[in-house]
Amino acid sequence: MSDHDVSPRHAWWSRFTSSSPTVVTAYAFILGLVVGVVIIATTTPAVLDAWRGIFHGWDGLPHALNITFNNVGAAYRDMFTGSVVDPQGFWHSLTTGKGWPNTLTPLSETLTYATPLIIVSIGVGIAFQTGLFNIGANGQAVIGGIAGTAFGSMLHMPTIIHLPLTLLMGIAGGMLVGAVPGLLKAYTGAHEVIVTLMFNYVTYSVLLFMVLSTPFQQPGQANDIGRTLDPSAILAPLFGTTSGLRISYGIFVAAIVVVFAWWLLDRSSLGFDFRITGANPSAARASGINAKRVIVLAFLISGGLAGLAGVVQVASTTHYIDGGFLIGSAGIGFTAITVALLGRNRPMGIVWAALLFAALGVGGRNMQSLTGIPLDLATVIQSAIVLFVATPVLVKEIFKLRHVTTNSLQLATTGWGS
Amino acid sequence: MGSIRRLTTVLGASALVLGTLTVSVAATSVSASAASKFKACVVTDTGGINDKSFNASAYAGLKDAAKKDSKISYTYLSSTSSTDYAPNIAKFVTEGCGIIVTVGFLMDAATAAAANAHPSQKFAIVDDAPKVKAGTHVDALQYETDQGGFLGGILAAGASKKGTVATYGGQNFSAVTLYMNGFVGGVRYYDKTYGKKVKVLGWTPPKTACSLAACAGTGTFVGNFTDQTAGKSDTTTFFSEGADIVFPVAGSVGLGSVAAAKLAGAGHSIMWVDSNGCVSDAADCKYFIGTVAKGVEPSVEAAVLSAAQGTFKAGTYIGTLANNGTAVEYGGIKVSAKLKSEIAKAKAGIIAGTISVNPNSYPAVK
Repeated sequence: MSDHDVSPRHAWWSRFTSSSPTVVTAYAFILGLVVGVVIIATTTPAVLDAWRGIFHGWDGLPHALNITFNNVGAAYRDMFTGSVVDPQGFWHSLTTGKGWPNTLTPLSETLTYATPLIIVSIGVGIAFQTGLFNIGANGQAVIGGIAGTAFGSMLHMPTIIHLPLTLLMGIAGGMLVGAVPGLLKAYTGAHEVIVTLMFNYVTYSVLLFMVLSTPFQQPGQANDIGRTLDPSAILAPLFGTTSGLRISYGIFVAAIVVVFAWWLLDRSSLGFDFRITGANPSAARASGINAKRVIVLAFLISGGLAGLAGVVQVASTTHYIDGGFLIGSAGIGFTAITVALLGRNRPMGIVWAALLFAALGVGGRNMQSLTGIPLDLATVIQSAIVLFVATPVLVKEIFKLRHVTTNSLQLATTGWGS
Repeated sequence: MGSIRRLTTVLGASALVLGTLTVSVAATSVSASAASKFKACVVTDTGGINDKSFNASAYAGLKDAAKKDSKISYTYLSSTSSTDYAPNIAKFVTEGCGIIVTVGFLMDAATAAAANAHPSQKFAIVDDAPKVKAGTHVDALQYETDQGGFLGGILAAGASKKGTVATYGGQNFSAVTLYMNGFVGGVRYYDKTYGKKVKVLGWTPPKTACSLAACAGTGTFVGNFTDQTAGKSDTTTFFSEGADIVFPVAGSVGLGSVAAAKLAGAGHSIMWVDSNGCVSDAADCKYFIGTVAKGVEPSVEAAVLSAAQGTFKAGTYIGTLANNGTAVEYGGIKVSAKLKSEIAKAKAGIIAGTISVNPNSYPAVK
């Protein structure tokens, strides 16, 4: 009997052995954690010492195994309790009604980090669906953040108009930067990967100039720090400033973006044009779709969302921009590329992927402070997961999954050289 | 075949269950160790504890304190961006750290907010003095690096064979430019006192005297603290303009200057910054004429020890030549005894207040 022929009796079980995208992603996650185990076991001094001593006595080997399991277990436990919930604290809060802020802090932190990541990743995902590689989302987010923060800090008005306008200025800033590669691609054929990538450097220079020059630099400050947002232009904490929980009204902005993306891609004719162009540009042109319009609009939307993410980042956390804004490993616009890939460019997929990435980052901090294992481990696990997701054939072989026809990731990787 | 594949999956599933069990077992065994200890915690900036400079020195200060007092344990959290400062500090507050050390002026706002919310929590912040409410416990560690830079300027001017020295910075803000300003002051002092004509490139001091808060002149800046290629090309330019000693105030960018000095050959050297170049970059010791050091490590150590022993005092610590908060240290290149005594004389004069480190006190060589 062939494995491809599964009778209905085995239906519940076959779910875990089929190679549907969800299952492959789940197994990729497990493999990512396995890679993490190997790294912890081979780089933690205490573990290495224990293994060096396995021939010193009859209990050397069990001792080494015990130390290894303890360290790996502690690392992953701290990662979980630092990003989701600490069961002991939760039980304590549930039975006594006290300490809820502490119990909810991990979840609040994960959502705080995920919020701008979701927004920018959806922007990148929409461009991917159109067959366009927006590598410049980070720069667009930087300019969006600057535009929004400048508006929200230098002009003063009541919250009801200040906050929406601040967010709109962020979108406008991102659109402005996104429009350039879009127009260049549509009218001159300049490759968007090169243009967007290079624009990141332009925007960093703009950022440094802004935070060090008079109108935008924080008054009385000689260092690279920008002005602080007015209280009327911030995304306030959901449970009030005294709660200590940073989760803000930004999650509603993210929710609106998710609904908008779903509507755009699945319900609007423009989104249909986007997807057709992404799937087969020649067919799209032959059926009368205006390719120039699609490219420019896709870049405007992608850039606008990136800009919104930038201003949401500022308005929900620090309330000011400094010279290191979104630079280096904080560059959510670059993380967004992998998040969009992991979420298969679908709005809900991206939400889950962004939550996973945020949780690994936040939990990684807890792990670092309690076990001394560097935060970089979280990045390694993130990267490993994406690596396995991007090579479904490997995952299928490792777990001997049955082949089913699905949308593969090829859609996301057709932009090159086109 | 089918049964084998199913077996693989079952094995995988049981491995997961086993893993979960391990996690719950580990939960009980690990957390028993840290009892009745004083915990010192550092939140580093984006450089992390291995940046061979600033953050590394602060972390080393914690380690030093732990060596002297066995009841001190230490830990760190690194930040990937300014978004991480507040949660990192908050995490340490809830973990019950005896003292939380934050590094750099960028953490000013986050440290002030945390201190105001938790007045009894002890903080030490390196290179910054946040505005906090009365009753809070914040030790602001600041360093008058223009004093050390001044001695570095004398060392460079005295050791220069070609009669030109240069400096450049990472970015134009006071934590950086204070060094450069002192360096220019030292060169000018040397020229005036000993009748020499050593020129200095890369920094034009402001008309008003510099302070810890503001030092806004004009000069050569790389624009960041990471681009070693830019540091190398700037240094090569200085060499081609006749300089033979360059003083980079730009963290790891300075390694680009070392590379340029290697390329330029004998007679070209580098003045290192922050922590002794012959320790942090020992392999290149022979290219260092000296180091203008900032006493981050001893001052953090002192703050941690005072907190652990109950003698902690909130307020401002100013690192000067007098308390070794800043200093000039010699490198791998031989310095004449005469020059060393001239530097010692200037050091005594600065401590006594008879020598001004302000470059505007001395005429510039045209």
